[in-house]
Amino acid sequence: MLNFDVLVIGSGGAGMRAALEAVRQEGLSVGLMTKMFPTRSATGCAQGGINGALQNADPADSIEKHFFDTVKGSDYLGDQDAIEHFVSQMPDAIRELDYFGVPFSRDGEGRIAQRNFGGASSPRTCFSADVTGHVILHTLYEQCLKHGVKVLAEWYLLQVVADQGKLCGIVAYDLKGGRIVPIATKAIVIATGGAGRIYWLRTTNPFTSTGDGIAACFDAGIPLKDPEFVQFHPTGLAGTGILMSEASRGEGGYLLNNKGERFMARYAPEKMELATRDLVSQAIETEIKEGRGFGEGLSAYVQLDLRHLGREKILERLPQIRDLAITFEQVDPINEPIPIRPSCHYVMGGIDIIDYRTCATAVEGVFAAGEACCVSIHGANRLGGNSLADIVAFGKFAGKGAADCAKQRHGFSEGLVGQAARAWEEKFQAVTTRKTGASVVSIRDRLAEIMWNNVGVFRTGADMEEALKVVDGLIKEYQTVMVPDQNKIYNTLFVNYIELGSMLTVAKAVVLGALNRKESRGSHCRADFPNRDDAQFLKHTIVSKQGSTYNISYRPVVITKYQPAERKY
Amino acid sequence: MRKITYKIERFDGVNNFVQEYSFPYQPGKTILWGLITIKDSLDPTLAFTAACRSAVCGACAVRVNGQAVLACETPLDAILERFGDTLTIAPIQNFKVIRDLVVDWEPQAARLAEAKTWLQPRDEFDARKGCRQTAADFKKINTQAACILCGSCASECSKLSANDQDFLEPFTYSKVWKFVADTRDKSAAERIQAIQDKGLWKCMHCAECITKCPKGLAPGEDIARLRQLSIKMGYTGNPGARHALSFVKDIEDTGRLNEAKLQVRTIGLISSIAKFPMALRLLRRGKLNPFHFPGKVKGHEQIQAILKAVRESEK
Repeated sequence: MLNFDVLVIGSGGAGMRAALEAVRQEGLSVGLMTKMFPTRSATGCAQGGINGALQNADPADSIEKHFFDTVKGSDYLGDQDAIEHFVSQMPDAIRELDYFGVPFSRDGEGRIAQRNFGGASSPRTCFSADVTGHVILHTLYEQCLKHGVKVLAEWYLLQVVADQGKLCGIVAYDLKGGRIVPIATKAIVIATGGAGRIYWLRTTNPFTSTGDGIAACFDAGIPLKDPEFVQFHPTGLAGTGILMSEASRGEGGYLLNNKGERFMARYAPEKMELATRDLVSQAIETEIKEGRGFGEGLSAYVQLDLRHLGREKILERLPQIRDLAITFEQVDPINEPIPIRPSCHYVMGGIDIIDYRTCATAVEGVFAAGEACCVSIHGANRLGGNSLADIVAFGKFAGKGAADCAKQRHGFSEGLVGQAARAWEEKFQAVTTRKTGASVVSIRDRLAEIMWNNVGVFRTGADMEEALKVVDGLIKEYQTVMVPDQNKIYNTLFVNYIELGSMLTVAKAVVLGALNRKESRGSHCRADFPNRDDAQFLKHTIVSKQGSTYNISYRPVVITKYQPAERKY
Repeated sequence: MRKITYKIERFDGVNNFVQEYSFPYQPGKTILWGLITIKDSLDPTLAFTAACRSAVCGACAVRVNGQAVLACETPLDAILERFGDTLTIAPIQNFKVIRDLVVDWEPQAARLAEAKTWLQPRDEFDARKGCRQTAADFKKINTQAACILCGSCASECSKLSANDQDFLEPFTYSKVWKFVADTRDKSAAERIQAIQDKGLWKCMHCAECITKCPKGLAPGEDIARLRQLSIKMGYTGNPGARHALSFVKDIEDTGRLNEAKLQVRTIGLISSIAKFPMALRLLRRGKLNPFHFPGKVKGHEQIQAILKAVRESEK
């Protein structure tokens, strides 16, 4: 049986940073598994930047200010011990990226340049033009090549196999080899990214952000934390949802309604367009709902105006924004405003991390990092520039945590892993020879529709009751779905089928978490409970699964220094 | 109703075949939209890869009517206008095909590693303090840093198609140049030395890598930059460098190439004699005139002046 001491699953920033850390621990066999080729990961889509109080752009910035901005941004739902640990690591983590070879944009003194970002009290976001995630992803890949990390490219995670709270291994589908493979491993790091595709086309995420690792852990008995908090990025392209980086507002872009007003003056008079993503998204949806948008229904939009920045600044600082606007909306931002609308961008919730220092989960041997997990540092709303920061900081902790764990572990059942793989063989056979049933696409599209309409930017109890019914119905229908492709070589339909199962699993947790949180906080905005309710809900939602039953419990938020206060921008 | 037809070159792991799919035209769509339409509503067994659908991940590179493009950002209307409503879609070339439009990147990844494409930071920098670099020096590597490893350049590379055993993918040379040009890196000399026998002089100048790059890189130009630096560093003893230097000398001497001398200067007298049978064949077909001794071209002084100016500007 194939085996590793540490197997990292997912090859975005968090996964590759974890693999690098684990491979530095002498004498361990380390693998990096990804369902694509490593540089296709969602990290590459991150445009704007990475936060760290380097004090290059503003000597008055500090780790303390980054700490407070993140706590406030989280709408006081982030755990303050974890956030403090995180922000204190960031300056070093960014300088280390520089040393790895990330080509950062520079200031006049040759230091890493920093720009303004939403929710930040100082210009703290380090960047490389507007392709920051792309260059970090590729640089980390270069480092993995350098350190000889064993890459299993185009291997797809089917199952995390655990027994009595302890990891045994995983089952994977080797797409190119056309085999289902059991892998015994002492420790794994799940770094498979988010699940924005539960909203299918109304997301900034790649097709592959389907919550595979989140669902696999959930099915293996690891709870999910705060799944109801789904971030909608205010500026997705109207037609496709493709991301127009927050850098566009950081550099001074305006948001305009159909009357030509900078409507953010009504919602966040001080920060204007640089208020947090949740507030700006809600403002845009309100403008559209009250008839001050362009167009109607799902295709309605407002405008992002960059023209006043001038040609030179757009070309230098926002070249990709311009290319994307031209390609996908046929609009050149040098001459015309860009049609935009909120689009699902990030899931703050995810696999429940119980120790932020090691990124351990409740199952021995299973660690997680990045968007797949919830530490929680982002709480109810993540600040722009904090996700690239999250993946490099916690990727490193998880890699170290998993390596230390692997060194201490011995004696676990490999037999169970083999059994699980054989069950998958049978499942492959059964679903690919089935002659009736709904298609993967039909279930996928109905899921996205109900999620966007009923569990989107604005939510109500009645809408979500309806969504829960629909999602439950789709889960039932999924049991008999048809996967008409029996070829085992690179069977993308089979992958899409498992991905759909993951999306349904995660979506149900999102709906349940949201239905039971009867307040509005951060990205979770309920029309029927418009206020934050600290007395009832200053706590993390914990969803766990027994058989097919979802159970909900709560856990207190860790508050160390900053008492909850009203969040104003 | 207007229909679009994709003729897709497919491979199921054993057999190659071409399959045609027709679907209704819609304005303002992309090549990728067509592939997704086929997979979602006509044939779920079609295999291709796509992820970001915004031209940053490189997963969806395919050949459309023989040209490598990113399916996600290529507007269908422009392509249809040029080629009509039937298009041939094939996997990118010079890669091993796994299934349908999916190709294997593993060998290419191994070759990237062979070329040591990672930063070797200078000794004055350390992991805790990071590095320093001027904004102008950042700009020198910014273009190459935009490479998304989509493989379009490699797909259309004439040299790789002819023989991929003694040449690397164009994107690899761009990566090598990126690190050579990076002021944070200390190993420019080592890198130049390392690629001497990795095809540096084998590029055929077809410039397909430059025209096909969706991110505006110019791997062919980066190869030229690597060659220039290589000569400057004194690597003049190889056929490629001798060939280039001979070119310049001919132009300086007479304003035109002397093919006969070029051969001797490039590969030496002994090797040239070994090529005598080819010379005979050329003679027989009238491609070589042994009695033709070209003199200086008209305006030769001006050519010399231009060369002088170029050399001055490079100092």
